[in-house]
Amino acid sequence: MNNYLTEQNNVSKLSLQVESLEEGFLKLSGSTSLKDMAARFSKILKNNFVSDEIYMLQKSSVSGIWEPMNGESIDEASVIAYLDQSDYANISSFPDLGIVAAVALPLSDSSSLGIIIKQKPGEIDFSEIDRVVLKILLQVFDSAYKSFMNQKKEKKLVFDLNEKVFQLNNLVDAAIELSRFEKRNVLYKLALERLSTVTNAASSLLKISSFRGEQDVYYTFPENIEPESIISNKFCIQSTFTYKGRDYTFILSEKEKRGGATAFTELDQVLLDAIKRQVSASIENDDLHKQSIEKELIEKELGVASSIQKQIIPETLPKLEGYEIAGTNIPSKEVGGDYFDCIHLNDGRYALIIADVAGKGISAALLVNTLNAALYSYLEFNLPLTELSFKLNKLIYRASPPDKFITFFIAVLDPATGKLDIVNAGHNPILLLKKDGSVRKIQAGGIGLGMLDFDLEYTGENLEMDRGDMLFLYTDGIPEAMNISDEEYSEERMEAFLSEHSSKPSQQFVSELVEDIKSYAGGAPQSDDITTLVIKRI
Amino acid sequence: MSVEFDITSEIRGNNLLLKTFGYINNAGGERIISEFYKYPIGGLDKIVIDLENSKVINSIGISYLIEMIETITSNNCKLFFTNIDPTIEKTFKIMGIFQFAGKAESAEAVLANS
Repeated sequence: MNNYLTEQNNVSKLSLQVESLEEGFLKLSGSTSLKDMAARFSKILKNNFVSDEIYMLQKSSVSGIWEPMNGESIDEASVIAYLDQSDYANISSFPDLGIVAAVALPLSDSSSLGIIIKQKPGEIDFSEIDRVVLKILLQVFDSAYKSFMNQKKEKKLVFDLNEKVFQLNNLVDAAIELSRFEKRNVLYKLALERLSTVTNAASSLLKISSFRGEQDVYYTFPENIEPESIISNKFCIQSTFTYKGRDYTFILSEKEKRGGATAFTELDQVLLDAIKRQVSASIENDDLHKQSIEKELIEKELGVASSIQKQIIPETLPKLEGYEIAGTNIPSKEVGGDYFDCIHLNDGRYALIIADVAGKGISAALLVNTLNAALYSYLEFNLPLTELSFKLNKLIYRASPPDKFITFFIAVLDPATGKLDIVNAGHNPILLLKKDGSVRKIQAGGIGLGMLDFDLEYTGENLEMDRGDMLFLYTDGIPEAMNISDEEYSEERMEAFLSEHSSKPSQQFVSELVEDIKSYAGGAPQSDDITTLVIKRI
Repeated sequence: MSVEFDITSEIRGNNLLLKTFGYINNAGGERIISEFYKYPIGGLDKIVIDLENSKVINSIGISYLIEMIETITSNNCKLFFTNIDPTIEKTFKIMGIFQFAGKAESAEAVLANS
């Protein structure tokens, strides 16, 4: 009867405990960490057994050391030795130490759980039923632990997948952002920031190597870190590109993992190389963009210069009785400062002018404009050409930058007599081709206009054109015209052409001269203006 | 490696307000979680992390935030982020943070509804 009652008692006790097992499993499965799981299991054990002293230990591997899981350690050597040798869930007791149950449970990840239950003297004995319940609870813990570890693996898998998406997204965003930067330092900082986040580098650095004696330049992420601490770190990867003589070296330092550092992977190197290439391309594109803007500005400037030049150079030349006059100006791609004119003076004479401004572009065109205005003004007063040149020199000197000056030739022709007053201010020799075929080079005069302001006098010359004579004014764009082998047309070839074709009408002579130059150049780009003014007495 | 990161914390009623300063990486994440564990989670309703002064986060930093979210969620508490940089916001979306945490314009907006 007594035995029957005891068995009934045990059965009802067991059934109550079994009901709580499912609840226990759910509680354990909902743990957020192993520590949390240990705390929950400790509570379950305390609810099932009359004991306030429950020790939970964990060993990470077979050869590891037992560590307390719920903050309470136990150092009895015999018990620890027992846990080390214990087979699967074999419960033992150590009455001398007040330990009613000591058991080690191998877990699914090669770690082990150790449980030690102490009871104070006088408390209810740890019965056989309690041992069975403990075994069942250990199995519940084992299942819950497996479930917890699976959840952990799933979470890690999801996290790893998300991290890959994060890396890919970062890489795409980096490519877009790096191609839109406004300032280079912003580009560098952004690249380092992206590199650090995409590879989990604790810090990163860009070193731009010195060039022509300058100092190396460093950028770091985070900004306040010392470059040396990154460069000297053993756990680094790096990637370099060279652009315009400078080495751009990216260094990533210390790949982070939770609680420490780990080695960079091949993927990290791939990501580093990819962002490095993007930075390289962005810098190159930026340079090309700047060059393109600069080119556009130059083209606009040349357009303005060209329109100025067109306004100054006469479209038609005056008709002089007894003379044939013809001229041309073929501007090169870069607008030059060539100028020619034939001005009818108030005393019936004609001024024949040719000039060439050193340099090209809008500044040269503006200087020609200044010369043109001053000439018209001074010629009104019928000044001697030497005085006119003297005044022009002073004016151009003041009006031009130090590197600009004008080579200038002027001849004033009395059409009735054929007499010429001439000054050559630094221009290449003007040729007077006599009817008999002889050539006279006219170079007497003085320095180019605007070269110096030393009150240097100009020397004039008087000549006479007879019937059949031809005065050939030209700029250096004719003898210096290049062919595709970079060989000049030359003064010799020009003079030979003159001798051969001087009998032709002026307009035809000019046209054929231009054709001869073009034919010689053979498609080579025209490097300078081609300008000539020809007057022939008939 | 010494990288400047800082964090401040303040209890407002049953809520905890954390403000971060700097790169949220391993070091930054560790600082956040250790600051968070200073307070007994059982007594908190909401936790607000103000990210106004943090513009960069890596996945290690995010793993600490996820740990925090798991602890908070199992204790019937709710986490909010405020002043999130657009880059970080995109990162949080990708990493699934907003499935378990809210975002708000300001800490005051979150705490006003307490």
